[in-house]
Amino acid sequence: MEDIFSYRREESFNAKEGLLKDWKITVQPNISVAGWPADAGSKALADFTALEDATIIDRLKNAGADICGATKMSEFGFGIKGSKAGEALRKKEVNAELVLDLMGEARLAAMRANVFGFKPGYGIISRFGLIGLIPSMEACGILSSEVSLIGEILKIIAGADGKDFCLPDESLLPAVEIIPGKTKVGVIREAVQGLSEKENEFFTSQLGKIKEAGWKIKELTFSEYDLCQSVHNIIGAVEASSCAGRYDSVRYGKRAPGTKNWNEMYLQSRGAFFGLLIKSYLFQGAYFQFEKYSDYESACRIRKHLVREIEKLTAQTDFLITPVRMPKNASTPLSLTETYDQFAATLFANVAGLPALCMPAGENVCGIQICGARLCDLSLLSLGEYLCNQGWGK
Amino acid sequence: MDFSQRVFCGEVKTDDAGRDILLAGWVDAYRDHGGLLFIHLRDRSGIIQIVFSPDVAGENFCRQAAALRAEFCIAVQGEVRRRLSGTENPNIETGEIEIFVKKLNVLGESDPLPFAISDKAMVAGSASAGEDNVAEDLRLQYRYLDIRRPVMQNNLLLRHRIFLTVREFLSSRGFVEVETPCLTMSTPEGARDYLVPSRVHEQKFYALPQSPQLFKQLLMIGGMERYFQLARCFRDEDLRPNRQPEFTQLDIEASFIDEEFLYDLIEDLTCRMFSIGGITLKRPFARMTYREAMDTTGSDRPDLRFGLRFVEVTDLFSQTKYAIFRQILQRGGCIKGINIKGQSEKLSKNVLQNEYAKEIAPSFGAKGMTWMRAEEGRLESNIVQFFSEAELNGLKKRFNVEDGDVLIMVADPSYQIVVSALGQLRLHLANRLGLISAGSFYPVWVTEFPLFEATDEGGVTSSHHPFTAPDRVDFDPKNVEDLLQLRSRAYDLVVNGEELGGGSIRINNRDLQRKIFAALGLTEEETKEKFGFFLRAFDFGAPPHGGLALGMDRTVSMILQTSSIREVIAFPKNRSAACPLTGAPSSVKREQLAELGLLNPGGENTLPGDAHQENLLDRISWVSRIGATAEERKTLEQALVQADKLAILARENAGLDDPLCTVTPVANRMREGAKEKRSIFAEKGQLLKSAPAVKGSYFKVNAVLE
Repeated sequence: MEDIFSYRREESFNAKEGLLKDWKITVQPNISVAGWPADAGSKALADFTALEDATIIDRLKNAGADICGATKMSEFGFGIKGSKAGEALRKKEVNAELVLDLMGEARLAAMRANVFGFKPGYGIISRFGLIGLIPSMEACGILSSEVSLIGEILKIIAGADGKDFCLPDESLLPAVEIIPGKTKVGVIREAVQGLSEKENEFFTSQLGKIKEAGWKIKELTFSEYDLCQSVHNIIGAVEASSCAGRYDSVRYGKRAPGTKNWNEMYLQSRGAFFGLLIKSYLFQGAYFQFEKYSDYESACRIRKHLVREIEKLTAQTDFLITPVRMPKNASTPLSLTETYDQFAATLFANVAGLPALCMPAGENVCGIQICGARLCDLSLLSLGEYLCNQGWGK
Repeated sequence: MDFSQRVFCGEVKTDDAGRDILLAGWVDAYRDHGGLLFIHLRDRSGIIQIVFSPDVAGENFCRQAAALRAEFCIAVQGEVRRRLSGTENPNIETGEIEIFVKKLNVLGESDPLPFAISDKAMVAGSASAGEDNVAEDLRLQYRYLDIRRPVMQNNLLLRHRIFLTVREFLSSRGFVEVETPCLTMSTPEGARDYLVPSRVHEQKFYALPQSPQLFKQLLMIGGMERYFQLARCFRDEDLRPNRQPEFTQLDIEASFIDEEFLYDLIEDLTCRMFSIGGITLKRPFARMTYREAMDTTGSDRPDLRFGLRFVEVTDLFSQTKYAIFRQILQRGGCIKGINIKGQSEKLSKNVLQNEYAKEIAPSFGAKGMTWMRAEEGRLESNIVQFFSEAELNGLKKRFNVEDGDVLIMVADPSYQIVVSALGQLRLHLANRLGLISAGSFYPVWVTEFPLFEATDEGGVTSSHHPFTAPDRVDFDPKNVEDLLQLRSRAYDLVVNGEELGGGSIRINNRDLQRKIFAALGLTEEETKEKFGFFLRAFDFGAPPHGGLALGMDRTVSMILQTSSIREVIAFPKNRSAACPLTGAPSSVKREQLAELGLLNPGGENTLPGDAHQENLLDRISWVSRIGATAEERKTLEQALVQADKLAILARENAGLDDPLCTVTPVANRMREGAKEKRSIFAEKGQLLKSAPAVKGSYFKVNAVLE
């Protein structure tokens, strides 16, 4: 198990009475648990110890949960290369895992481990105590083999937090009942294009199953679907570059030895901090910030358009169903573009801040993701549970 | 409006009560007392209170006055009255009177201010608009508003008085102010030149003067005998906190004189300048040779406001059994120390060992520091057992040790390291122990500098410049040992550890000058090429002469005791050598560059140093302060190529929507009712726990500059 965990709770633990009593939950070292190492998978935070609990940890502990360890993660949680997210669940060591989802990491890891992977909608879960990279896109994802547990955890960690000043005054809408004849699902045509023959066959057969059960399926067109990836890349890189500004070898991280002045200290320390994937991303971010700022603004304009278009799609249907390609276990490091390509099917939910749930994929040729409108997280989980109970996705 | 009758605000007297007068100036502060409006009117001379009363001026008029805001430029006519007993304001000169306004003329309205200008010294408890509260770049961007502040006006006024004193004094001593050109040739001063391209002579450049050195010597050869100039000089140096790319220098040169003449002249002048700041300097100024300064303070700019002079103790340890000292002495090293008199209470074992020996001394370049505390007639230390009785007694005698004293010693094979580390420790301790009394000034002449310094290639180079006269002429220009023994006839004026200026007696003998060039390893030809026009002048009967230059910005700043030299310069550059007010330096039109022949003719029309020629990757690496190794470059370059494709894609698809930054409604949250408080993690020191370097309760970083 040691290769899964970066840290395991050593201190004794007295569970509080609560809904989550006796449930074991893991985090990753970018989620602060007081006294635990929190290096976010990066040398930039080597040997950093969290000073206090993240709000979500505080709430989980109060609900009786056993925060039992941290699993290994990719640098800053960007991509799933090097991440062991989902593995503890696969081995049935724990009941749930918390994994930051920047463009689909929580969901892809879950699919890989044959469990449910849920990314809550943006803005309902406090980010206080999370060491993030792309503030406007990321959300703390929840992985579990039981959808109902994801729902319990979500209800406990969601909601206003005086420590997170960006969290708006919104609350989750109650779950709506799932009625096969009435509930409408939409399929985005552009999201299905590019599937291999086998993948397409599988996805179509799954749709056939629910059609047979009396569901209405609406085919939707979203011609700018492909732009989501570019927009995520541009905005994400800029936000990452800003976010990584704090890694200065002054407050944390190891300082490069023998530097003579301030600038040299930054250049060399920061040069040694970041792995090549993150460094490529940060260089792109700095390029947009310092050389092409108006193009960054253009990306933000496109994002507005995309969000509006996606809202139109979710207004026409109750849920969106999209296929997700299974992540390959590449042995060589992925380039930035390859990393992004891996998340092509999941990142639009981050761009628009939608809740999204990936179903366990087992040995299937293709994974399936369902999305709902913002704040409809609980309804989405109900649908997931319903489909699961129907034996769907198998 | 006829301003010929205008009276200055600060000059209205109590005796003027009953008179009708005309004032003009700026609204410094205003208070509305329900119908009665009080305004402090400010001009360069001071502040006076003016009153708009419905009884005197009528309701309508008072309503008009109610529209006045801070820094409106106005003129008023009104009657001087004594203030009612008990309403006097002792904080302003004119605090016993006020003006009841009969006529108001708004001369210029003001936008809301970027920062407060009023000192509000007359309103008890108000925060003042001091330089501490406003970001300096904002002050510089609106320098004209900053200059309205009485503190700044006073600084500029006193600067003017100091300059006036210089001109009057030197004129009275027979000196003549002569201007020298700004568009000139590069001179051998050692810093980088600011270059000005010539349009007429394409691809050729003038240099802005780093000092008028050559011209002032030519004026001596020209028989002007006594010259001075308040000259603007330019040096394109790396940025340092208290430097400006252009600065004002008092440049002096005289013929048929010696060092004593200049000491006397400059001491007299310096005392006069400092007296304008209310500072009395004692004459004659102390003198110290370079050697003595290095031996006893570790600096050629010694701060003599406090003791803590070094004492040489190498000889006491010639037979020592203490391994560290023995090894250092075997390698030809030296040991020096300081007796910090009567400070053992403030310098505990813990402070000496854990702060000074372990942290501070190593940060000053010493490999270690030895300390001893004198208690009950004995020397106490963590290593005292390694020393013999004779050695300890020797130290007691050499340092005149009494109970309560603290000795620190630095030993190293390199004399340079010993004096440099000990010198920095000396300053550190003086500051820490409060040994420098505020408002004390200690001028000293530092003399007898080495004429040459050794170069890495085994030759010599001038410490000052090659025209400085040596202390003797019988040297062998081929014998490096001998050359390094030569002293120069140069002198620096140092006050409180800061060099205000320096100069030298120059060489006026052709043969001696040739010998010096030979010593520097310059051939006849090289000499001619570098200094030809200048040396030619010495072929026509050059008089013996010498002079000095004083940095006036620094001098005025010291006299006025301002926090930086920018406080005594009307329109200074900021710390990055830019002017936030005008935006200089700025890019120029291509046509201008073309006219100057600075566009690459026939090429891609790229400018010299133009962005296209620079490497994009290096630029991004620099602005984001992330270094990249050679192996990483290829991948990073690919990422940038990809980023450019993305940028084009975004541009082409931008549309007309407003940029979206977050998908949620914007929540503007205030910490209502919350009091500012120190983080509990700061209190317990936990915030510092993960830091790579800490000093006390601060994060420790490298110096901004080397």
